[in-house]
Amino acid sequence: MYDIRLEGVTKKFGDFTAVDNINFTIPKSSVTVLLGPSGCGKTTLMRMIAGLESPTNGKIFFGEHEVTNVPTRRRNIGMVFQYPVIYRGTSVRKNLELPLLSEKLSKAEIDKRVDEVAEILDLKDVLKRFVEELDNGTRQKIAVAREVARQPRIILFDEPITNIDLTSKLELKRSMKELFGRLQQTIVYVTHDQTEAMTLADQIALMQDGVITQSDSPKEIYDKPNSQFAGWFLGNPGMNFVPPEFIKVSGTKITSPLFSQTIDLGSKAASADTFGVRAEGISVSGTEEKGAVQARVTRKALGAGGQYLLDLAVGSLLIKARVSHSVGRSVQNSVWTTIASENITFFDKSGTAL
Amino acid sequence: MAKSIETLEKSIKDVPKAKKPESKKNWFSWGLLAPVLFFFILMSVLPTIWMFGLAFYDYTLTSANKPKLIGFKNFFDFLANQQLAGSVSRTFIFLLCAIILQTFLGILIGVLFWKNDKMPGRRIALTLFFTPMVVTPIATSLFWKFILDPTLGVINYFVSVLGFERFDTLTDRTLAFPTLVFVDTWMWTPFMTLMTLAALGSVPKAELEAARIDRLPLIRLIKTVIWPHAKFILGLGILLRTIDAFKTMDLAYVLTGGGPGDRTELIAVSLYRFAFKSFKLGYSSAVSVFLLFIAIALTAIYLYILNARKKAEE
Repeated sequence: MYDIRLEGVTKKFGDFTAVDNINFTIPKSSVTVLLGPSGCGKTTLMRMIAGLESPTNGKIFFGEHEVTNVPTRRRNIGMVFQYPVIYRGTSVRKNLELPLLSEKLSKAEIDKRVDEVAEILDLKDVLKRFVEELDNGTRQKIAVAREVARQPRIILFDEPITNIDLTSKLELKRSMKELFGRLQQTIVYVTHDQTEAMTLADQIALMQDGVITQSDSPKEIYDKPNSQFAGWFLGNPGMNFVPPEFIKVSGTKITSPLFSQTIDLGSKAASADTFGVRAEGISVSGTEEKGAVQARVTRKALGAGGQYLLDLAVGSLLIKARVSHSVGRSVQNSVWTTIASENITFFDKSGTAL
Repeated sequence: MAKSIETLEKSIKDVPKAKKPESKKNWFSWGLLAPVLFFFILMSVLPTIWMFGLAFYDYTLTSANKPKLIGFKNFFDFLANQQLAGSVSRTFIFLLCAIILQTFLGILIGVLFWKNDKMPGRRIALTLFFTPMVVTPIATSLFWKFILDPTLGVINYFVSVLGFERFDTLTDRTLAFPTLVFVDTWMWTPFMTLMTLAALGSVPKAELEAARIDRLPLIRLIKTVIWPHAKFILGLGILLRTIDAFKTMDLAYVLTGGGPGDRTELIAVSLYRFAFKSFKLGYSSAVSVFLLFIAIALTAIYLYILNARKKAEE
């Protein structure tokens, strides 16, 4: 299998820079999710890897081979599009076979591969049906199966479940998760949906304005965002950010009305401008605790999984905290909060984590 | 629980229905339609009904006799008329030749334009290429008559410069008909190119890209990706051309007047002669009714294709 190496890859559309000088390696045999808001350049980057767009500048390597100017047909990649692509007027089986026919495989080998993917993606029952009769969710499964059956070394997914109705979406996400566990290929998956990214990725590359701002494992990128953008974009709700007026820096020490303790940030303290804390990084208690900060509950909402999302006011500062069902149900107007120092991320004026 | 659902249902039923000023709205839309409707009825519907009636009469403007109801006699006369049968079959040969040529060339040129979508000057080339289609057919016929003229025409000028003998294609017994097909093709190939471009444009980009990724060979690309989408618009294009070619009148009338002999006499030219040269209104109405039914049959196919496309898209 190949890794995908991008060297100074840039793509401009007129005056607009969609992808800005990206140097990045997508590791082989793993799932890398390009995540970011619409217009951040993630799809353009993927299309350049596929050869459907050519970079304005820079080079693309598959392993040791430079492919920057190699046409799509000769790149040996698979790609699943946002809009489910099916080859019309044929059966599902024929759809899966079509690309294999160009690979000069034996009939037995083709049948074997088709049956295999049909099994994995639960398409056995529809193999004989005509593709036009099937709904979008199944059509997208066919598109996925087709690319998997070809066994290319790299498979690209361009927001494959965005245009699918909700029920099929969950099903497709589940089969994709299972599939990715089995595949040995290098997989690049583009999405703007953080839940998808969190579920499927071995590695997330977070993109903003044509640049990869952070890349790491889902857990790492969630717990240790390197920028305010990463903290805000990932998580639902995004990270709480506490504005500068609630921070007091004296020497290397930082205090805040939210802290029950002083935090020593060493030499970095001077540039600390704001700090962030995740909603679940705030511990909440219904009874007064020593050293805890008192807060007023302004709103209580029951969220997914029985957890409660609390809107808290500490003086004039508003923050959100996620608490367990039992705590959430019992708390009334006043709560006592503590934040462990490892749950706090400081940012400088430009929004970069310290 | 049951009770709450009941109340919910009740509250849904009790929602006051939004008042639709339906009658007012209707008046307004009818009002907007009225002028068009008025002229449509006056210029299209009434004459058609009139024509149906006339078809059963012996009615000749130049005759002193009063119009006489003669039943289906006009139709029998017309079906027995060898000359008319000749012009009907000639019309079919004409439209077959013209449409095969136009479709073939139209697709060829359309694909060239489609493949080279980044070619500099593409827009200008397209605009120039489409001009024959927007020029009035009468004008086209007239200037082709000049171009082909044996004494004044530019083609014969070059022919004589090159040392060959001047010739007149429009009065030549073998060349007149092909010349008519040629001018029609010159005029209408751009239309088929336009339809080809529209048809190719209706193929989703992702499907074309997927075919590149999946390395489908050209034949399969055409069969499984392009054709399923393009067939509707292309089919409509061919049908529209067929309906139109069937009515071709101005071209033949101006270029050859149906001659030499009856070599280029298409059905519409015959019809024109019966109605406005011999003033046999009853007889020509019967011919028109016959033509109308052919046009209706073609339109039915047209609607069928439109419907099939709608279904396929669902």
